[in-house]
Amino acid sequence: MQAATASDRSPDAEPAPFALVARVGNALRLASVDRIACRQGLAAGMTLADARARCPTLVTHPADPPADARELDRLLEAMRHFTPMVALDAPDGLILDISGCTHLFGGAQALARQARAMAGYASRPGFGTNAMAARALARHGRADGDIHALPVVALDLDDGALAALRRAGLRSIGDLARRPMGMIAARFGEQAVTRLRQILGEAPSPIAPRRPSAPIRAEARFPEPIARTEDVMDVIEDLLGQAARQMEARKLGGRRFVIRLLRSDGARQGLAIETGQPVRDPAAVLRLLRERIDTMADPLDPGFGFDAVLLAVPRVEPLVERQQAMEGEEARAGEESIVALIDRLGIRLGPDKVRRLQPRDRHIPESAQAFIPATQAKAHPWPATSHHAPRPLLLFDPPQPVAVIAGVPDGPPQRFRWRDQLHEVRLAEGPERIAAEWWRRRDGHQPGGAGRTRDYYRIEDKDGRRYWMFRHGLFGEESDIGWYLHGLFA
Amino acid sequence: MAGRVPIYGTGPSGRQAPATQASFRALERGHLHEIHAAAPDRAAALAFALSHGASQAVSQGMGAQAGAIFALRATRRQRLPTLFSGDGLALLGIDPGRLTLVETGSEVEMLRAGLEAARCPGVSMVLMESEGRFADYDLTASRRLVLAAEASGVTILLLRGDAEQRSSGAQTRWSIRSAPSVPLEADAPGLPAVEAELLRCRSGPAGGRWLLSWDAEHGCFRDRDAGERDGQPSVPGAVVPFSRLRTDAGSDSQRQVA
Repeated sequence: MQAATASDRSPDAEPAPFALVARVGNALRLASVDRIACRQGLAAGMTLADARARCPTLVTHPADPPADARELDRLLEAMRHFTPMVALDAPDGLILDISGCTHLFGGAQALARQARAMAGYASRPGFGTNAMAARALARHGRADGDIHALPVVALDLDDGALAALRRAGLRSIGDLARRPMGMIAARFGEQAVTRLRQILGEAPSPIAPRRPSAPIRAEARFPEPIARTEDVMDVIEDLLGQAARQMEARKLGGRRFVIRLLRSDGARQGLAIETGQPVRDPAAVLRLLRERIDTMADPLDPGFGFDAVLLAVPRVEPLVERQQAMEGEEARAGEESIVALIDRLGIRLGPDKVRRLQPRDRHIPESAQAFIPATQAKAHPWPATSHHAPRPLLLFDPPQPVAVIAGVPDGPPQRFRWRDQLHEVRLAEGPERIAAEWWRRRDGHQPGGAGRTRDYYRIEDKDGRRYWMFRHGLFGEESDIGWYLHGLFA
Repeated sequence: MAGRVPIYGTGPSGRQAPATQASFRALERGHLHEIHAAAPDRAAALAFALSHGASQAVSQGMGAQAGAIFALRATRRQRLPTLFSGDGLALLGIDPGRLTLVETGSEVEMLRAGLEAARCPGVSMVLMESEGRFADYDLTASRRLVLAAEASGVTILLLRGDAEQRSSGAQTRWSIRSAPSVPLEADAPGLPAVEAELLRCRSGPAGGRWLLSWDAEHGCFRDRDAGERDGQPSVPGAVVPFSRLRTDAGSDSQRQVA
């Protein structure tokens, strides 16, 4: 028995009708609608203008087919809970071969109920003795599940053939099934016969289930428990070697390695490490594991000894064996050693403690850069800095408030007090005006809604130290104008 | 303010070919160097440290990718909360992508991580920032860093903010201060300028003092007084990069400390 599920994307809790819209040709059309919208007479394919005229409260969102496909992939993996044979029925369906699986869940209906609850979306199930019948019932069928009552649309033929069928007065599969097959093939094409026979179960309709890739794991069980940490590490190294051979055959490298140590008294201990690059070299992984063991709050406690050691590599990524190059070998070895170093430091100190600078396309100086964990950072060329005034080497985070005496309200500071010390300004340049990013604020386009403008000055004091200082706000527009020190120049 | 021994000369002189003087060897590669600075002079000290470490990596043909810089600091010890600015680094000719910032919980962890980075052959420079006493940095710790630097050729720079001098195995010890810059037009602050004082040098005369200003054309710090000296006849051996003055001082390091 087969069950097919056609799902649409409807957040059930939403009381307002909801639809996804996509641009088709020059018009915005509804790509899919939820149950409430459906009840109000909206349907996929309708133009957005028509839909709005019928239903002014319609909430819309742009359709994102790649995200839908990813979500469907996730659902497919989740459906493996019910059966190993799950096939994709793009763009919005899944076909489950539940032969022999139903009794585990209390019958086909109960299985469908659980599967739909797990999927979490509104969905239509259909049951059939073969995949095509189930699919047709899910997409076009009525509750009674009668194949013969299905409309001819369920054959999924092209528009011309469908129109011809309707003109001939053939409205349902049952009508068609009563006619001789030869006549159907002659008038409506070979495909109509094939589909019809598939739905009726006279021709096979195989599905192409997606096979789960075998997980990469290795295990060792001992006749006698072992207790010494060094012995355990030797075993782990051996297991890593086995896993490396499995991964090498499939051109994979591990990003996450999990070790489970089963103690003879039943207690279990786990160790997990993650790497920044896919690796399969046992020595490299072992080094990271030792690092992890060293930093653990309570070290490995063997108790009466370990009975078994299990290794799993839950996260893998493609890793192709690289050819030994003649040139640049040293540089590449250096790069690899840096990646390994970042992994080690990340494991010991926490991944967010090892960071890199990345540029961001923003105007406000402190937002123009971001600190990204080094394992996630990508190599970006730094944007040219010549189009604006020099920036300091160090930025204060947060900017330091200072008391300033300026000659004229709009002018550069003459002296300022910072950390209980008076600084006389010798040289000053500015202002470099950096306006607030009004387009990021909700009321940014309204007067006064954008936030404060900053006037930056480069100044040098009598001691020869150079500072970056800004006045927060404009005279005449804001009342309490503050001065802040934002950076130190070399 | 000019030093007794210039550390950098613009013209060819003596035995030294011009090529060896293209870079400023105040912070020699593969050694440990200490840089003392007061808290407000931190940017100047960092600029001095980074510009020298960076220019060496490029001059040795290692390319931008291989010249990784690891900047380490212990988070809790920071009195002035500062961040590196990528634009500021780019102005000093350092691609911010080369920099990896490591924050550790304690100074011991910082030393340990720094030592590990120093042993990594792909790294060109390890920069450790500390403030205050830094009790964990003793002779043993510094000797470990020296050995790691010599083995891998990584330059280790230790920035000590607001700190007392302490005996260590470092090759050189500098004191860096911001110096008044040469004003640009309309009384604008000029290019970076630092005053560098050599407090200790393991294999040469200490006590020199130099006024270095940024040379935007070549992207490095230059002795401001070197240009004036060009007209004078140069004494052979006097205008020699620091590294050339080295004598075999490996064995008497214990005696020469502080």
